[in-house]
Amino acid sequence: MKKPSFHIIRPLLLTGEKSSSRWFSYIGLGIGVLLLLLSLQLYIDIQSLVKQTSIRKNGLDYISVTKTITNANMGLDNRFSPADLDTLREQPFIQGAAPLISNRFEVVASAGDRIPFSTDIFLESLETEFIDTVPPEFDWKPGQTVVPLIFSSDFLEMYNVFAPSYGLPQLSMETASNVVIGLRCEGLKGGQVFRAQIVAFSDRINSLLVPKSFLDWANMEFEGLPSANASRVFIKTKDANNPELLEFLAKKKYRVNKEKTAFGRSKQVLQGVIAGLGIFGVLVIGLALLLFSFYLQLMVARSRDNLQLLLTIGYRPDWLSRQVARRFIPVYIIVVAISLVLTQLMQYGFHQFLMFNRPELSSWLDPTVWVAAIILAALSIFTNLRMIKKLLYKIL
Amino acid sequence: MIHIDRILPSYFQESAADRSELWRQPVHIAPGERIQIQAPSGSGKTSLTHFLYGLRKEYTGTILYDGVDLQSMNADQLADLRREKMAVVFQDMRLFPTPTLRQNFEIKRQLTGFHSESVPIQWAKQLGIEHRLDTPANLCSYGEQQRASIIRALLQPFRWILLDEPFSHLDDANAYKAMELILEESERQAAAVLLADLEIIPYYPSTRLIRLHS
Repeated sequence: MKKPSFHIIRPLLLTGEKSSSRWFSYIGLGIGVLLLLLSLQLYIDIQSLVKQTSIRKNGLDYISVTKTITNANMGLDNRFSPADLDTLREQPFIQGAAPLISNRFEVVASAGDRIPFSTDIFLESLETEFIDTVPPEFDWKPGQTVVPLIFSSDFLEMYNVFAPSYGLPQLSMETASNVVIGLRCEGLKGGQVFRAQIVAFSDRINSLLVPKSFLDWANMEFEGLPSANASRVFIKTKDANNPELLEFLAKKKYRVNKEKTAFGRSKQVLQGVIAGLGIFGVLVIGLALLLFSFYLQLMVARSRDNLQLLLTIGYRPDWLSRQVARRFIPVYIIVVAISLVLTQLMQYGFHQFLMFNRPELSSWLDPTVWVAAIILAALSIFTNLRMIKKLLYKIL
Repeated sequence: MIHIDRILPSYFQESAADRSELWRQPVHIAPGERIQIQAPSGSGKTSLTHFLYGLRKEYTGTILYDGVDLQSMNADQLADLRREKMAVVFQDMRLFPTPTLRQNFEIKRQLTGFHSESVPIQWAKQLGIEHRLDTPANLCSYGEQQRASIIRALLQPFRWILLDEPFSHLDDANAYKAMELILEESERQAAAVLLADLEIIPYYPSTRLIRLHS
């Protein structure tokens, strides 16, 4: 078919142009697209903000989990069985789980003559890949009298708080590393005194960590028992704030480090609000398109006779609907482009004036938002063509 | 080739076929034929035109264009048939009312570009409506509108042309000129002419007469 000119038939179709419903539908579409793009960008912003709030290693979060002690389970064994560990490891949102194994014999630590201080302590061991700071000397072989120790930074801080009240000197990290600690281990089957030296401090693990090889050997040597089930487990996960993970832990009644997941809960609320905003945006777009379909119906009803005559003399309904639809394409593109520009301005303002000290955020829109805008424009154009076609074929 | 096979409007009694040479009869129309369909009022002349043009489907029997059933064509195929092969002059003219005659011609001419822009002007001269070219169609007399609708019908390629009382608002002299133009163009395109009217038109050199109701 030779392409006839739309110019000559245009006045026949677009009669009674003063339709305010058309403008309302454009404005509605603009608002809907803006809401949707904005909620998408905010969602992405929150994701990147949350990622930076927890101590991470290799892009993973490490959190410690214990079983919640309640009046009901107080007398029971609340340690993690191998089956519990397997269940944890099977979860898709958990990349690894390792138990914190503890001593089964008595341990008394003393700091020698210079610092007259001695206390019962506990020792724990954990797979090295779960520890944030592992120096090469953190290793122990049977026969070795010096036991390397990884000390919790929090414990040192705690010591420094109460040390002056007991007439003890406060210690810096460096000094603490030089203090030779006496470790007296005693169990049913015997005992031995070791020297322990702090080789590193850990921000992540609130414990006194010794190499696993030492604890396995000592448990057997002094108590005649293998290392027992752990009451604490470390979990390695891509996102400590993952709602699925939090839900799983809550269901299992496991207690987690609240500080690390507190943001997760606010994130859940925020994401809920943003999802609500997005859904509202979708609804507004739907309403705008509905309003536009009313406008189209009105337009087709007004030009019904002309349209019918055009079809009678040989104009293809397919061609006619494409011509009519084409007229609205620039409008849709402009509406979506304006919404995109407004979203960009808001993101720029959000980053520059509210979140200026967060380098993990960008002042520019995420590519996903661009893709979403293109999809929305294409979807509007497609829906519009479908509506026009439907109306035109209906009058045949 | 058109095969009209035993059709009858579904709103007609079967008895209407008793005295008809078309209803419920097999009729074949060959290229280049000139058929005169003579039919008194109410015998279904306009219905037949509308059936053949695919505007209405309330009939039993089949109408085949080059072997394809008209009823099986979708809207776009029907549009292709009308644009490329089938011209029509309606009894009620059916021009766009507010556009001028010139615009009415252009709306049709630009659909195929089969004729150049000067052709409708030349034909308007030939039929004596040249002075009305820039007048909106609804301000023209019936006679002028009828001549304009004949010109519009011819502004396309066609293998068949349907004429439903095409000269009902014209005097003999103007009707004769219009007839000449129609025959000239259909001969040029080797098209078949199907002219339906109340009476036999003496200046129409038909090759066959079909009475809808005798």
